[in-house]
Amino acid sequence: MTTAQEQADLLAAIGGQNKATMGALLGTGSIAKATERADGTMEATIRIPEDAMVWEPAVLILPHAGTVELTIVNDDKNTHACLLPSNGDKKFIGLVNHSKGRATLELDGPGYYWYGSPAGNDEGRGLTAAIVVTGEVPPEAKLDRPAQPRP
Amino acid sequence: MTVEYVDAGEAFDHSQLSSLPHSAPDVTRGINYERILQARSEAQNWITYYGDYDGKRHSLLDQINAENVKNLKVAWIHQASATGMIASTSTYAFEACPLVVDGVMFVTGWDGWLWALDATTGEQLWRYKHAIPFDVTLCCANVNRGCAVANGKVYMVTQNAQLVAIDATNGRKVWQKTIGDVRAGESASIAPLVIKDTLITGSAGGEYGVRGHIDCWDLETGEQRWRTYTVPKPGEPGSETWPDDGEAWQRGGANHWVTGTYDPELNLYYAGTGNPAPDFDGEVRPGDNLYSDSVVALDADTGEIKWHYQFTPHDLWDYDSTMEMTLFERDGKKLLAHFDKNGYMFVLDRTNGELQHVTPFVDRIDWGVITRDGKVTPRKYPDKEGEPCHFYPGPAGAKEWTHASYNPDHDLFYVPVADVGATATRRRREFKEGMPYWGAAVEVDIDNMAGSVSAFDSHGEEKWRYRLDMPMAASTLSTAGNVVFAGTPTGEFMALHAETGEKLWSFQCGSGHHSSPSTYMVDGKQYITVPVGWGGWLEGIMPGMSGQGHGAAVITFSL
Repeated sequence: MTTAQEQADLLAAIGGQNKATMGALLGTGSIAKATERADGTMEATIRIPEDAMVWEPAVLILPHAGTVELTIVNDDKNTHACLLPSNGDKKFIGLVNHSKGRATLELDGPGYYWYGSPAGNDEGRGLTAAIVVTGEVPPEAKLDRPAQPRP
Repeated sequence: MTVEYVDAGEAFDHSQLSSLPHSAPDVTRGINYERILQARSEAQNWITYYGDYDGKRHSLLDQINAENVKNLKVAWIHQASATGMIASTSTYAFEACPLVVDGVMFVTGWDGWLWALDATTGEQLWRYKHAIPFDVTLCCANVNRGCAVANGKVYMVTQNAQLVAIDATNGRKVWQKTIGDVRAGESASIAPLVIKDTLITGSAGGEYGVRGHIDCWDLETGEQRWRTYTVPKPGEPGSETWPDDGEAWQRGGANHWVTGTYDPELNLYYAGTGNPAPDFDGEVRPGDNLYSDSVVALDADTGEIKWHYQFTPHDLWDYDSTMEMTLFERDGKKLLAHFDKNGYMFVLDRTNGELQHVTPFVDRIDWGVITRDGKVTPRKYPDKEGEPCHFYPGPAGAKEWTHASYNPDHDLFYVPVADVGATATRRRREFKEGMPYWGAAVEVDIDNMAGSVSAFDSHGEEKWRYRLDMPMAASTLSTAGNVVFAGTPTGEFMALHAETGEKLWSFQCGSGHHSSPSTYMVDGKQYITVPVGWGGWLEGIMPGMSGQGHGAAVITFSL
C-alpha cells in the first residue's frame, strides 16, 4: 500500500517540468474554489507561475452552473494563451509574458471541463486544467421518481 | 520594484480568429407549421428531420437521376475536424441529417457543434459550440442527429441534455432549457421536431436505468407544454406490466432518442421507445414492461398516449424500437411501417395501432419468432447467471437507428440491414444512479457479419437486395430520380437503382458512414449531401470495424 507521503513524493516527481516526465502530468496540481457574489456570479483567478507550465489552480471548483468571471495571469517569462469552454463558442485570450486579462464564461452543470493554452505543446507540458461545476440540475429537470441510490 | 502587468484584455469568441462572416440570410424566419406541413412539395429544401412529417426520406427532386447519376461529382467539402479533449473522445461520429433552407445548410456535429454553411459552396457562415462536460454520461457515443428550424431560429439538443434555441442569422443563443438530469445518466441526441408552435424532444440514457420521457416545448419561449413518461407509475395505465411491489418502473428505460413522425390529420405524434432497463436482466422486471420497445401515439397537444403497440414485449436483447415509424397509405388505409431491431417489419393501422402484418427482413433471427399475426415466442435469451447466450440479431439490431426510406411510386422501402449476432452473459448488478445498468456482459460477434440495402414492398416482400460483407449503419435516401443513396461502413457513398438495386455510382468518402444524407436544390442545381464520420456505438454495431478511424466532413455532390 502506498502511504500518503509516498503518494505526495511520487506526485511531486511527475508534477514539474523535466523531472520524471518532460512535462507536468495533467490533473495533479493544486485545487481551489471560486467565490460567489450576491447575484450568483462566480469569480476566480487562474495563474501561470514562472517556469512551471501549469495553471494554478489545476482544478477550479465552481459551486453551481452559471457565469464565472476569471482573472487570468501569466507570471511566466514565456508567451502563452488560454482557450476556455463557454456556451456559444470557446473563449480565447493571448497571454504575452507578464500579462493579465479577463474571461467571462457561461457553463452548465454539473460536470467538468478541460481548458488549456493552445500554443506549441503547452497543453501537453502541463498547461491543461479543469473547471469542475458542482451541484444538481434544476428541480424541474429531474425525473419524477423517488430518490435513487448513488455510488 | 513592481512591474505592471501587460493588459491582455478580455477573452473573446474563438471563431473571431477565422474567416467566418458570422452572418447568414434570415432564411428560417418564414418556416412555420404551415410550411412544414407542405415540406415535401418545397423539394428544393429539406426543412425537417425526415424531409417531411411522414418519415419517408423521399425527395421529389429528379435532376439527378438513374441515367445521369454516374456523372455525380464532389461540389464541396466541409471539414469539421475534432479538436481538444472532448467527452467520449473515441466514439464521436457524424450522425446528423443536414437541413437546408433557401441555400443555407444547418448541420449539427458531436460535442455541441452546429454549423451554418452556404449550401452551394460549403463556406462556413457561422458556428455555435455548446460547452459539453468531459464527464457527461453518454450511451453510447458523443453524437447528435440534427436540428430543427422555424421562426428565425435553429433548435438543437446537446449531449448534456440541454435544449438550445439559436438565432439563425448569427449563431447567437436566444434561450436554453435543461431537459434532463445528467446525474441520473440522462443525455440527449435527438433532432427536435417542430409541430405547430411547439418542439418535441426525447431523452437518452436507457442503459443507465433512467425513466424515459417525451417533452413538448414552446417554440418561442422554451416553456414546457407537457411531459409524458414512457414508463408508467404504479396505478397508471400500463403499470400492470411492471412488478407492483418493486422499484423497477423507476429505472425502466424506454427512452425516445430518435425523432418521431407526425400525422397532422390525426394530430398524433408517433414516438419509438427504447429498451427496458436493465437491458438483459429481465428477472428484475417481470412483465411486458410497457411502453418499452414500442410505438406510442401521442396527442400532439397534450402528450396523452392514445394507443401503443409493443414490438418486443419483455425485451431481453436490447431491441430498442426508437427508429422511424414511416407513415404511408395503402388501399385507402392510413398505415405505419416500422423495421425493428428485432429483425421484423411491422405494418400497423396508424389510426388505432391495429397490427396488419409482420415479416422478417434479415436472414438470421434466432432470439425468437414473431408470427405474421404478431404472436411473439422468445427462444434464446440470457436468463441464467453467468451462462453465455448467443443470439441473432445482436443488440444493435437488424437495423440500428439509421433510417429506411420509402419511394411511394414503387411502394418500396429501402432498408439498411445489419446481420450480426452477439453473446450476452447475464451478470446481475444492483442499481446505482448514473452507473451503467445492463445486467450482462455483452460481446458482439467480431466476424461472421453481413449486411445489405434491401428493398421491401409494403406487404413485406423483398424485391431486391444489394449485399455487403458487413452491416449497413447509415440511413438511405430515396429520390424521384429513381435513385437510392446509401453510405457504407468502409466509406463508399453509393447510388443504387430504385427498382433493381443495381449500383450506378459510388464515391469513396475516406471514412465510414453513420448519418442521414439529404438532398436540395439551389439556383436550379440539385445537390446530394452526406455527413461522413465513422464512430458511434461501434462495439455494438460492428466491433470488427471499431479500429477503422474517424472522419469529420460534410461532403456534397452535384452533376
